Amino acid sequence: MAALSPAAPATVRRPRRRRHLPLWHAFWILAAAAYFIVPIISLVQFSFGGRVDGHSAGFHWYATVFADPNFASSFWLSVQIALETVALSIALLVPTAFWIHLRLPRLRPVMDFVSVLPFVVPPIVLIVGLIPFLQPFTFIYSRPEVLDFIYVVFAMPFLYRSLDAGLRAINLQTLAEASANCGASTWSTLIRVVVPNLRSAIIGGSFLTVAIAMGEFTISSLLSFNTFPVYIFNIGQSTSNEAAALAVISLLLTWALMIALYVVGRGGRTTAQMAATR
Amino acid sequence: MARVELRGLHKTFGGGTVALDRLELDVASGELVSLLGPSGCGKTTALRIVAGFETPDAGEVLVDGVDVLGLPASRRNMGMVFQSYSLFPNMTAKANVAYPLRIRRRPKAEREARAVELLDLVGLARQVDRYPHQLSGGQQQRVALARALAHEPAVLLLDEPLSALDAKVRVQLREEVRRIQLELGITTIYVTHDQEEALSISDRVAVLAEGRVEQIGTPAEIYNRPRTPFVASFVGTVNQIDAVVVSPAEGAVRCGERVLVVDGDLSGHAQGADVGLYLRPEDVVLVTDEPEGTPGASGTSGASGTSGASGKVRSITFLGPVTRVGVDCELGALVADVASDVALGLGIGDPVTVVVEPGRMRTLV
Ligand SMILES: Nc1ncnc2c1ncn2[C@@H]1O[C@H](COP(=O)(O)OP(=O)(O)OP(=O)(O)O)[C@@H](O)[C@H]1O
Ligand SMILES: [Mg+2]
Repeated sequence: MAALSPAAPATVRRPRRRRHLPLWHAFWILAAAAYFIVPIISLVQFSFGGRVDGHSAGFHWYATVFADPNFASSFWLSVQIALETVALSIALLVPTAFWIHLRLPRLRPVMDFVSVLPFVVPPIVLIVGLIPFLQPFTFIYSRPEVLDFIYVVFAMPFLYRSLDAGLRAINLQTLAEASANCGASTWSTLIRVVVPNLRSAIIGGSFLTVAIAMGEFTISSLLSFNTFPVYIFNIGQSTSNEAAALAVISLLLTWALMIALYVVGRGGRTTAQMAATR
Repeated sequence: MARVELRGLHKTFGGGTVALDRLELDVASGELVSLLGPSGCGKTTALRIVAGFETPDAGEVLVDGVDVLGLPASRRNMGMVFQSYSLFPNMTAKANVAYPLRIRRRPKAEREARAVELLDLVGLARQVDRYPHQLSGGQQQRVALARALAHEPAVLLLDEPLSALDAKVRVQLREEVRRIQLELGITTIYVTHDQEEALSISDRVAVLAEGRVEQIGTPAEIYNRPRTPFVASFVGTVNQIDAVVVSPAEGAVRCGERVLVVDGDLSGHAQGADVGLYLRPEDVVLVTDEPEGTPGASGTSGASGTSGASGKVRSITFLGPVTRVGVDCELGALVADVASDVALGLGIGDPVTVVVEPGRMRTLV
């Protein structure tokens, strides 16, 4: 009887499977989550810790952070640098990647290699090499905008690889030819056809660029610009609870910035359209 | 509309592949010419040179007498439909079709109206707001056709636009391509390797082999009067028969024991010279060697007036309305197309008489 009904064995077996595998899944997911979440929880706890005038601190450290004018100025400096870096990277790398894929496919392996160099070469080496190069350009060297140019180099592997994958996923050659056949110049094709189809690649690469530019400490500290990470470090030297509060705030602000970027980048397109461009 | 001339187009790719070998082609205004040929014969290369995606090593492409090779693809005013799907994935069908007009900065109302009108023309009035991934392959190629027509190009270029589609859609769509082409009277070059497609929709067919035009003519000319063995065998199925010229003046040849009169000019051949003949399967008539009273397998009234060659049935392949019967006979191994209901009476090994109507046996002209 049971053998005649094909549905029966499946309904019997399924709960048994559910009992074993998900447990292991849950374990690993929890373990992985703990790895990231526990430090954040400790950080949050610490930002409320310590005693002030014999009372528990509460939001004291947060209030201190917001009261410090250097907080806002260093934060906005980092945001400004991050956005400039993103803009500069996109302006530089999107046309480059497009052109290489379309007209110089033989250069692709070369670009693959070049684009990982900033990964392979330690940042300190880059800086030691860059400083003498940048020093003669005093008008830029003394301004924090010099960091834009340096971060573009750091962010290149991420943005370029993201663009490279995006370009591989579309039928670039045919789309470009179809567009030219419709009367479009190469530039029009880039703006009207290629960029809209690379949106997710550009957004993804921009996220990482923002994260890098917002978090970079070594170079801005070496060049003595008071960016946000440098400010956090300096606070941490004196008041560790305040530094924790500051770190929590910086996490939240960075997330907010990324969400804002995502919303702007999506430009009101539906999820179906996003899926279609992939 | 426009007249297109290809003059001495030559193209060698890196590695020494000669893709085009002094290709010559004239397409009259409003005409649909197919480029038909086997894979790798240079059809796509020729079309891409006309469209401006490839540069020839030598030769000219004239549109209404003006050489366009100096113009970039974007300024040639041609519409092209590609073999692979080429719609912009981020745009709806309507936006895709309106794209050439957007590039030309036409007013929004005008381009939307034109896009809807063209989508209606290709039978997609209800799919205007769909994205390419929401359309079937056939629908995508319809949109691509509409897009290629949007800016009223002087020339329409199609590179195997139907090859990714299944057989039924292909037949239906090729008829629509032809209907639209006639309706608009647009000069069209249609690349295909499907002979049936080429014969059914073209004003003229250019058969290409190894980068040059083997023969160009109306579909009937190409089919009935092939000029080279390549064209004879590439277009349709053909029986090839070796013969010896008996009388060039009368067009008589000897095939085995038999003397036959052929259709075609033998004046270039000396008496006693070897000559290649060909015969379409539908021109081979089979008569079953049954006693008097049974009708012949082909339904014709027997062997009167022609020499019958006796043979045996070697193979039977059902093709739908006709059945292709392989026969071994004195003329060699032949295939004959027989009405399927008639062929039901045949079995492998059956003796048959092969009859060829006078004039059906042809030399290459
Ligand atoms: N970009 C290229 N680089 C090198 N060789 C090429 C290139 N494009 C075409 N060829 C060669 O040129 C010849 C003609 O190619 P083409 O694409 O024109 O053929 P086709 O007639 O369109 O064939 P198919 O029916 O398979 O599409 C082929 O031998 C091909 O290998
Ligand atoms: Mg081809």
